[in-house]
Amino acid sequence: MNASVKRAEAGRPAVSIRDASRLYASSGGELNWAMTGVDLDIGAGEFVCAIGPSGCGKTTLLNTIAGFIKPTTGSVVAGGQPVTGPGADRGVVFQEYALFPWLTARRNIEFGLKMQGLDGPARRARADELLALTGLSHAAGRYPFELSGGMRQRIAVARALATRPRVLLMDEPFAAIDALTRASLQRELLRIWQELRLSVFFITHNIEEAVFLAQRVVVMSAHPGRIREIVDIKLPYPRNRADPAFGALYERISAAFAQNEEATQ
Amino acid sequence: MSAAQNDIRELGASEQEGTAASDARKLAIERDFRREQLAQRRRGRRRQLLLGAGGVLAFLAAWEIAPRVIPGINTKMFPPPSQVAGVFVEMTFRTGEIWPHVGASLLRALWGFLLGASCGIVAGVLTGRSATLRQFTDPVLHGLRAIPAIAIVPLAIVWFGLGDLSKVMLIAWGAFFPVWVNTFIGVRDIPVVYLRSAAALGAGPLATMVQVALPAALPFVFAGLRQATAVSFVVLVAAELVGAEQGLGFLISFAHLVFRVDIMFVGLLFLGAIGFLADQLFAWLLHRFFPWYGADARR
Repeated sequence: MNASVKRAEAGRPAVSIRDASRLYASSGGELNWAMTGVDLDIGAGEFVCAIGPSGCGKTTLLNTIAGFIKPTTGSVVAGGQPVTGPGADRGVVFQEYALFPWLTARRNIEFGLKMQGLDGPARRARADELLALTGLSHAAGRYPFELSGGMRQRIAVARALATRPRVLLMDEPFAAIDALTRASLQRELLRIWQELRLSVFFITHNIEEAVFLAQRVVVMSAHPGRIREIVDIKLPYPRNRADPAFGALYERISAAFAQNEEATQ
Repeated sequence: MSAAQNDIRELGASEQEGTAASDARKLAIERDFRREQLAQRRRGRRRQLLLGAGGVLAFLAAWEIAPRVIPGINTKMFPPPSQVAGVFVEMTFRTGEIWPHVGASLLRALWGFLLGASCGIVAGVLTGRSATLRQFTDPVLHGLRAIPAIAIVPLAIVWFGLGDLSKVMLIAWGAFFPVWVNTFIGVRDIPVVYLRSAAALGAGPLATMVQVALPAALPFVFAGLRQATAVSFVVLVAAELVGAEQGLGFLISFAHLVFRVDIMFVGLLFLGAIGFLADQLFAWLLHRFFPWYGADARR
C-alpha cells in the first residue's frame, strides 16, 4: 500500500506544528532566532526529511517536537496531545554515541521498556523482536564499543522503537557512517518504516539521502531559521538513484539551496 | 644454472601452477613474521624486567653500602636493608606481631573509606543533578574542603576519643571530598545526548539519576575513589601517629619512642605495600566489573 494513501486515510496528522519559533541568547547576551514561524504537519505514516545549512533550525525543530526544548512562541501537538516534554510516544535517534555505553545492546533496547515497568520476560521478548527486525540478534550481548558505527545506529533505532512510538525523530542518524553502510541503513529504515507504518521526521544535510527516503522534503534556510520550501517526492519505492526523475528532484532541491545562499549573502 | 636463475624459475612456475604454492609461501612468510614479532615483544619485556630489577638491586646495594662506608653514620639511625630484612622476617613470620597492627589499620581504612566514599557519591550525584541543591551547598562544602584533613585530627580525637571511631570518622572525612568533587563533575558534564535519550525513553528524574547519571559519571567516580584511597592512608597514618593503641601508624610512632629505626622501616614497608595492592585491586575490579569502562580510550 502506498504510504501517501495511508496519509490521506488517517484523519489527524501525527505531529502538527503551528507558528513555532525559538529565540536563543548567546553567552554574550546577543539574541538569535534559531527558528521562526514554522508551520508543518507530519501525517500519520508519513516520511518527512528536513534539510538545510547549519543554523537553519532543523535540529531546533526536531528538539521541539521531541519536547527537549519549548518553543518561544507557537505550539506543537503530537498524537492529539500538546507536547509538554519528552515522551515514549516519540522515539528519537541521535547522530551517534547516544547508546548507553554501560549497557549491552539488548539492555539498551530494553531501557525504555524497563522505564514503563515491563517485567523481565516481556522485555526480553520485545528486545528479541527488535533485534530480529534490525538483523542484529547475534550482537545482543555486545557493548556499544564492540559494535561498528552501522550496528550502533541499528541498535539505536531498535531502542527508539521498543516502546512502540508512532513517531520516529532522527537527527542526522547516518551522517557519521561510511557511504556503503549508509546506503544499506537507508534501505533498512525504509523497510522498517513501511512495516511498522510509522511517521518519520528525518534530518539530514545530504540532498541525495533526502530524495531517496522522503515523501516530502522540507528545505530550510538560516538567519533566521525558517522553512523555505516543501518539495513533494512522488517517486515510488524502492527508489533508483540513477532514475532521471531522481536527478531532477535532486537538482530542484540543490537550486533551492543556491537561492538560500544568495538570499543570505 | 645459477641459484638466482633457479629462484626466478620457481617463482614463475608457482605463479603458473596456481595459488596453492603461493598460498603456502604466504603462510610461511606470515609465520616467520609473527614469530619475529613475538620474539621482539619478548625481548622488550625481558629488557624492561631486567632494568627494573637492576634498579631495585642498585638502590638496595647503595643503601646497604652507604651506612658502612660514609664516616659518621650510625647504622642504628640508618639501618641497611640486611638489618631491616631481619626485623621484617622476625615481625612478619616468627612472632607475627605486625599482623594485629596491619589488621587494625586496614579495618579503619576500609570502614572510613566506605563511609566517606558512599556519602561522596550520593552528594556528588545530588549536587550534580540539582542546580538548587548545588547552589545551596556549594559555599559550605567548598569551604570545608579547603581545610586540610590532617588539621582536624586533634578535633576528631576530642570528639570521638582515641579509639577506632575517631580514625574511621577522619578517614571518612578525607575520602568524602575527592569522591564528591569528581562525582559531581562527572554528573554535571554528562553528554546531554544521554539525558535526552533517557527522557525520550520515558525515564523519570529518579531513574535518570540512578540508571543514567551515575553510570555515565562512573569514570569520574572511579578517579575520585582512587584519589580517596590515597587520602585515606594519609589520614589514617596521621590519626594513628597522634594517638592509638594499635595500627601501623602507632607502630611507627612507638618505634620512634624506643628508637628502633628498623621497626619504622618495616612499618613503612607495609604501608607502601598496602597502598600499592589497594590500587592494583582497584584497577582489577574496574576491569572485571565494568568491561566497557575506558574502552573508547583503549581503542
